[in-house]
Amino acid sequence: MQSSLSSPRASSHGTPRRAAIIWAILIAATMLTWTIGEGGKAGPVVTALLFAIAFGKGSLIILDYMALRRAPLMWPMLALGWMTLVCSLIGLAYWKGLAT
Amino acid sequence: MKYSSQSVALPYFIAAIGLFVGQIIFGLAMGLQYVVGDFLFPEIPFNVARMVHTNLLIVWLLFGFMGAAYFLIPEETETELYSPKLALLMFWVFLIAGAATILGYLLVPYSTLAEMTGNNILATMGREFLEQPLLTKIGIVIVALAFLFNISMTMLKGRKTVISIVLLLGLWGLAVFFLFSFYNPGNLVKDKFYWWWVVHLWVEGVWELIMAAMLAFVLIKVTGVDREVIEKWLYVIITLALVTGLIGTGHHYFWIGTPQYWQWWGSIFSALEPIPFFAMTVFAFNMVNRRRREHPNKAAVLWALGTGVMAFLGAGVWGFLHTLAPVNFYTHGSQITAAHGHMAFYGAYVLVVLTIISYAMPLLRGRAANSERSQVCEMWAFWLMTISMVFITLFLTAAGILQVWLQRVSDTPMPFMQVQDQIALFYWMRLWAGVVFSIGLVTYLVSFFVKGESKPLITA
Amino acid sequence: MNTCAQTLMPSLPVQAPAPAAAVRHLPGDLAIWVFIFAELLVFGVFFITYAFARSNNVELFNAEQLALDRTSGAVNTVLLLTSSFLVVRAVQFAQAGESRRAAPWLAGAFACGGGFVVVKLFEYAEKIAAGVSLSSSTFHMFYLSLTFFHFMHVILGMVILVAMWNGARNGRYGPDNMNGIETGAAYWHMVDLVWLILFPLIYVMR
Repeated sequence: MQSSLSSPRASSHGTPRRAAIIWAILIAATMLTWTIGEGGKAGPVVTALLFAIAFGKGSLIILDYMALRRAPLMWPMLALGWMTLVCSLIGLAYWKGLAT
Repeated sequence: MKYSSQSVALPYFIAAIGLFVGQIIFGLAMGLQYVVGDFLFPEIPFNVARMVHTNLLIVWLLFGFMGAAYFLIPEETETELYSPKLALLMFWVFLIAGAATILGYLLVPYSTLAEMTGNNILATMGREFLEQPLLTKIGIVIVALAFLFNISMTMLKGRKTVISIVLLLGLWGLAVFFLFSFYNPGNLVKDKFYWWWVVHLWVEGVWELIMAAMLAFVLIKVTGVDREVIEKWLYVIITLALVTGLIGTGHHYFWIGTPQYWQWWGSIFSALEPIPFFAMTVFAFNMVNRRRREHPNKAAVLWALGTGVMAFLGAGVWGFLHTLAPVNFYTHGSQITAAHGHMAFYGAYVLVVLTIISYAMPLLRGRAANSERSQVCEMWAFWLMTISMVFITLFLTAAGILQVWLQRVSDTPMPFMQVQDQIALFYWMRLWAGVVFSIGLVTYLVSFFVKGESKPLITA
Repeated sequence: MNTCAQTLMPSLPVQAPAPAAAVRHLPGDLAIWVFIFAELLVFGVFFITYAFARSNNVELFNAEQLALDRTSGAVNTVLLLTSSFLVVRAVQFAQAGESRRAAPWLAGAFACGGGFVVVKLFEYAEKIAAGVSLSSSTFHMFYLSLTFFHFMHVILGMVILVAMWNGARNGRYGPDNMNGIETGAAYWHMVDLVWLILFPLIYVMR
């Protein structure tokens, strides 16, 4: 049955406006990361911030751009779980590197 | 069977089983030679027995793959084989060439064999698994090309399915990579580098495609699950196999003189090589669980599920155990390698060929499935061979761990032969497990002759 | 007439169509998601291996990281994020039944991918000229391997974008036929997602 909700407004992929706002957030976050990089800043706090930003950006891609927000829960859980695991292990390795 | 030309598969399967028996006889001989070093010396020294054992394995598996292709391609493409006559001709060529080669290994000193067969023209002999004389290698190429021509022409005129395309891709890959056996550079590093383009890219590459396609075919037939579902799984499995296996070749490039980055690449990618095997196991069990019919050939289902599990254990798990460079540094070339090699080859390739034979042979003989008594006998064979293989592997793993410890890790390393004395007990135990394996193989042969009321063909 | 109809066809209760939000739906083919997660696994293992290799060589990694071109990396991040945005817009058009309008957006996404490739090639040219190779140091090995591995996925993604663009152009996609475009889009977003970890990890984290 043809859905009466045929405009992008109600699609499972969100609205153009939402997509654009998310894009702006992602770009701003990238600028922040780049600034940190150019400043040559080091240390656990900065690293934690970097990956918090990365996690935030990744979540937006996963949930909104990949449209997993509207998918059966297993999928966004898996994807976010992947990011959590990878970022955590990177954090662990970083912390191990501090000790040496 | 649906197409009369499928019958050419029968001689291929029979030859496969016959050569399998030969392989095991020489396996037993070597098992004894490990602990009674002079057994059969000088008539059949260990190195000759080994060549015969490994070469027979490869050749019988190739007969199995070809038989499988001749059986399933007509059915998948819904058309008769392009040239049954060519298939039968090539059967005899391959069998006679193979037999001659084995006799050559056994009856003639290897260097004489090399002289007799033109090794001075192009030196291709002398490398593990590729000991065949130049003439035999050329013969293999001719047989392979004729086979591929036959199958490809059949595919061109018939229906294209994912299963048949994957199978064909694997088989063409098999032929292409075999060509590297003709390339034998003087530089030892390059020699070893390209050797693996035959061996690794076969068993951890294109052969996995062949195996997956064969397994998928049998599963569609015995479970009746939607072709689309099975096709999707097949895509996923072969993608995983290629993504992990291609750069995973690097796990053979740790110590041969290649740059150090191979230790990283090989470890990372090959660590993931178990994943396609895991997927195949889940695939097999999942399909059987959601089956839409109770196929009378229960034995074939057992072989199919067994393939998934044993391939995952032997190729996947045992492979993983020694694939990381820091581990491999110590275990390289030890009995750990032998343990993995045996269970991997058995689990993946022996079992998939036996699976398709189990499915196809009754059909080739005019029935849907064998009698219950016959199937029970066949299933006994499966369990005897599989369990004894597990024990062979466990004993060799134990031998390997002890060997690595005593010879390499310990603070006071012992020389090779002294260590071999220390692990001899495990070799005896392995030999006994091998004897049970042979009993399983005999049981398997017997199963073909057990009488009883067979299950009639489903004509509906 | 009405009574006839009513006898022949029992009246069904009238239901409003379920709002799109209520039905959970995985966009694209299941097979691509299995593939995506396999890729995420490989990249994940690679990232974590890098991180632990770094922890054994902190000074070397910190020192050599400084020579990396962070601006190229940031530009590439912007290019990939933008391309993902363009892909989302294309998918939205397809969902609205306007497949042909989706095509230029996909072309734009492809162009951004192309931009990524060009920037990367310049970056590599500069590094190689400076003597960076797979064997010059462990850091360089990881830098080249990881970025090149990702680079190959961008190339594959671009091929997929071409297929999607072609489909869109031919009006193939619509609210009842979203599978193809969603499948391709999912893969492209994965390529973007992976870069979002790669960039801070290799270029910035110290």
